[in-house]
Amino acid sequence: MLSESVLCLLTEDLFIRVLEKLGPDRKPWRLVCKEFLRVESATRKSIRILRIEFLVGLLKKFCNIETLDLSLCPRIEDGVVSVLLSQGSASWTRGLRRLVLSRATGLGHVGLEILIRACPMLEAVDVSHCWGYGDREAAALSCAARLRELNMDKCLGVTDIGLAKIAVGCGKLEKLSLKWCLEISDLGIDLLCKKCLDLKFLDVSYLKVTSESLRSIASLSRLEVFVMVGCSLVDDVGLRFLEKGCPLLKAIDVSRCDCVSSSGLISLISGHGDLEQLDAGNCLSELSAPLVKCLENLKQLRIIRIDGVRVSDFILQTIGTNCKSLVELGLSKCIGVTNKGIMQLVSGCCNLKILDLTCCRFISDAAITTIADSCPDLVCLKLESCDMVTENCIYQLGLNCLLLEELDLTDCSGVDDIALRYLSRCSKLVRLKLGLCTNISDIGLAHIACNCPNMTELDLYRCVRIGDDGLAALTSGCKRLRKLNLSYCNRITDRGMEYISHLDELSDLELRGLSNITSIGIRAVAISCQRLADLDLKHCEKIDDSGFWTLAFYSQNLRQINMSYCAVSDMVLCFLMGNLKRLQDSKLVFLSKVTVTGLEVALRACCGRIKKVKLQRSLRFLLSSEMLETLHARGCKIRWD
Amino acid sequence: MDPKGGLCANNCRRSSSLTAPGNGLQTNLSSDPPSFYGIGIESHFNEFDPPSPPIQSVLPGQSDTDIEIPDQENCPLSDSSNTSKLQDWNPSAMLNNLSFLEEKIHQLRDLVHLIVNKKCQPIGQPHELVTQEQQLITADLTSIIVQLISTAGSLLPSVRHTLTNTNPLVSQIDQLHGINLPFGPEPSSGIRPQNNSANKLFDKSTQNDLPNTCEMEQNYNMEEHEPKDEEDVDEGENLPPGSYEILQLEKEEILAPHTHFCTICGKGFKRDANLRMHMRGHGDEYKTPAALAKPHKETGSEPKLIKRYSCPYSGCKRNKDHKKFQPLKTILCVKNHYKRTHCDKSYTCSRCNTKKFSVMADLKTHEKHCGKDKWLCSCGTTFSRKDKLFGHIALFQGHTPAIPLDDTKGVTELPDPQNREISNKVGSVNFCFGSKPSSENLVPNMMDMKGNIDDPMNYFSSLNFEGCNFGAFNEFPQTPFEDAEGSFSFLMSGSFKFGGGESSSGNLQ
Repeated sequence: MLSESVLCLLTEDLFIRVLEKLGPDRKPWRLVCKEFLRVESATRKSIRILRIEFLVGLLKKFCNIETLDLSLCPRIEDGVVSVLLSQGSASWTRGLRRLVLSRATGLGHVGLEILIRACPMLEAVDVSHCWGYGDREAAALSCAARLRELNMDKCLGVTDIGLAKIAVGCGKLEKLSLKWCLEISDLGIDLLCKKCLDLKFLDVSYLKVTSESLRSIASLSRLEVFVMVGCSLVDDVGLRFLEKGCPLLKAIDVSRCDCVSSSGLISLISGHGDLEQLDAGNCLSELSAPLVKCLENLKQLRIIRIDGVRVSDFILQTIGTNCKSLVELGLSKCIGVTNKGIMQLVSGCCNLKILDLTCCRFISDAAITTIADSCPDLVCLKLESCDMVTENCIYQLGLNCLLLEELDLTDCSGVDDIALRYLSRCSKLVRLKLGLCTNISDIGLAHIACNCPNMTELDLYRCVRIGDDGLAALTSGCKRLRKLNLSYCNRITDRGMEYISHLDELSDLELRGLSNITSIGIRAVAISCQRLADLDLKHCEKIDDSGFWTLAFYSQNLRQINMSYCAVSDMVLCFLMGNLKRLQDSKLVFLSKVTVTGLEVALRACCGRIKKVKLQRSLRFLLSSEMLETLHARGCKIRWD
Repeated sequence: MDPKGGLCANNCRRSSSLTAPGNGLQTNLSSDPPSFYGIGIESHFNEFDPPSPPIQSVLPGQSDTDIEIPDQENCPLSDSSNTSKLQDWNPSAMLNNLSFLEEKIHQLRDLVHLIVNKKCQPIGQPHELVTQEQQLITADLTSIIVQLISTAGSLLPSVRHTLTNTNPLVSQIDQLHGINLPFGPEPSSGIRPQNNSANKLFDKSTQNDLPNTCEMEQNYNMEEHEPKDEEDVDEGENLPPGSYEILQLEKEEILAPHTHFCTICGKGFKRDANLRMHMRGHGDEYKTPAALAKPHKETGSEPKLIKRYSCPYSGCKRNKDHKKFQPLKTILCVKNHYKRTHCDKSYTCSRCNTKKFSVMADLKTHEKHCGKDKWLCSCGTTFSRKDKLFGHIALFQGHTPAIPLDDTKGVTELPDPQNREISNKVGSVNFCFGSKPSSENLVPNMMDMKGNIDDPMNYFSSLNFEGCNFGAFNEFPQTPFEDAEGSFSFLMSGSFKFGGGESSSGNLQ
């Protein structure tokens, strides 16, 4: 009563200020206070729908939104759109600027066109991974004349015709991603470059385009970022076109372009001395001497990734002494990276924030210590498979790199509890990967848990010495964990699961091969971890029907589940598949208690919304073809294992 | 040497020597043909494009010196003073030129009169004398014509420089050869005087026995299987005016189904060869090898002026009166051009029933490709090739490619059209909002169940699943499809309240 009276005195703008301060924890406020609900309804700009059942009500409530994210509603269909737009005045469409339809594979071109036409202010659309989309959907998208950003990644059916539609209809496009639109060819790109002259960002990764496309792209005078990962038909000739064109080019990604060589990169660089980002991973076998010479001229370079290239100390030294403004360096799987090279490199690049040394096996404490000394701003360090790393260098990291947020120590067997104690000084850690670090135990984990409250992602894959006590410490310290991998940590029992159930924000949980957990443990998790979206229970053979039943009943936000090798019965499987309304992906291999008929019924029960299912190959001809066809027609992909 | 004086003297001598044979002149004419008019004409051609027929045009000319026709081989080839003067013309010079032309035309007319008179005379004179006279006359005639042409051609200052840039010198010399050829060793044969005012051709030749009809000349070289694009091919030919003669057929002649007529019985033929075959029936004199041979084969080796054709439709670019006249190359071109441009399109494609043509060959070509034009623009234009469509779209603002209705290309396995169909068939697109589907058996039971969630197995017995024989599941294959998964039912029944603390506002992040 008191609080309500206090709130009554606040003016609307003060409410708004308070709301801004609340951050992500607004839910309880709007649930108990009408004023907050009203103010939030009026001021909320973006909304992400988790469950389509509430779509209509939410859109009515939040009618001033600018961003609508339907990426978690693959069930949305043409009919839904017409219902949405016909109900009431549909005022939410008026101001909508950004529409995210990623993975909304249920929507067809008719519904898409109605939706697009209803939103006059639309500036950005994301239809990535709508793999069924083709030219008709592209034509529907082209109705949005004000469109500036469009993401069409993996719209497999879109051809040059569809691209031409968009190019003509959306002449103001500034950002376009065509990754994996495999049907698009040079002709389409050429037309795009003639019609959309404002393009600043273009991604043509994995397209079957040739150097001719680069000739067209070179005419884009405002292009700043150009991504062409895996364009294996493009060669140096194409890069030479770019040398003369695209005067504003700041970033280019030619990684995995097999036909690109050093000479092509040289011509590119010589035309663009102010390049800020260069990604040439996995396309060169080594950097030629002239190319290294060229790199010296890139004074503005901030990001360079040369994964998989043979490098020498000299090359690293050249980069270190010349590219002073380097912020990110990717040397993943590079051959020839030595301590000496790294030391010479980081002595120049003291602004480094991200350093990827994955699989640089000859790196040892000396190099890491120098990195820690020279780069106090380091935010992300990846040292996967750097076996020679020990607690000594971790000590230096904990001493100097207090901004460190992400550290990958996967498969670094030198890391032990002492190392984790040193590391826990990096209190801003958000992501930590300790997979295969078999020497760490509950004690080390407790150090991390006590000192790193921001941790959201922790990988303890096969850390076999971790047990329930470690989880107890972890769940009391790292309350914000969202992703947790405990696969094959066999010591964990139902008690550990009980601790895990205290993690309110947990969304991804991998429990693969935990042979000691039973239905009781799973039940605790299912009831408490309401945000759980991705659950891997493969080979958790002690979990029986009752455990799966509680999952089916409580874990309504579950999107992916792996139940392979689990002891689930026909009936519970059927119930689970039918009752989990948001389930999109399930892996159902070797379910010993499930009959073919049971599986059939289970699949029928979810065929309206399931998008991906993994089944045993031997069942291919035992399941009814009618059901398989229906699944296919509803946009579900079946992987036969 | 004073060019003008020399020229006049030359002319006077020639016209005065028409009756009396002058050996000196004749040898002079035949001995130096390549260089005779070469320089003068060439320089004109360098400067002017030939868009209209020479005589009729009343266009500005240039100074006297331009009509100089040096008859000496040692005359400097590059007479730059000449060409530079050409650039600026003055009206008085033009007047001079025109009066020169007038004089020449008079001479020409006199000559023609002379010829006509001579032909009317009975053949009483000694044969040799007649031949000699004819040779002289034709030689004179030719020289006058060439002078006429060159002067008239130089009167046209319209398109300067272009010729110099585009036409290589070699081709001009070739053309000059065409003009000069009448001065070859047999000047009497194959020279075709030109009556420009009528644009009809006199066939003056040694074969006096042939009928002197216009028909023969016009029908000459008529072949049905000419490439039909010829009309377009000669687009950039850029022949200088006067380097060819212009023929104009009348509309009736162009559209006549037959172009070769028997002079005896009047029967018409499409091909001259057929006519010749026909003629055999009219008497033995038509059966001689000479009569049966192709007529122009006989004269094939003879030099003649290049022929070009004019369209009779006034205002047409192919009409000789048009400012930017572009002549047609062959009679077939004339026919095709006239039909395509100035006639109704009477042939309709039997496949698409939309495309119409006035030339049968065009229809046949179209029918070969009709239906294969699968690339369609929003403006309705179809293209046989994708790149052509994209070129078109790039060119025109607002045009987009059209997506054909039965487009299954590339998306057959994708859900789009088929998907809807199957979904409907399956019945999962469930439009009954009002009431929950009766078969929605799982969810209501779930709600009832809240009380005893602690014992899940109880729930199962209440669902009666155990009584259900899985082997008989085929009996109710429809059930799962029609349950709450119906696309819309969730919109209405948006209140699944599960025990786990779910609420409507918990569904956004």
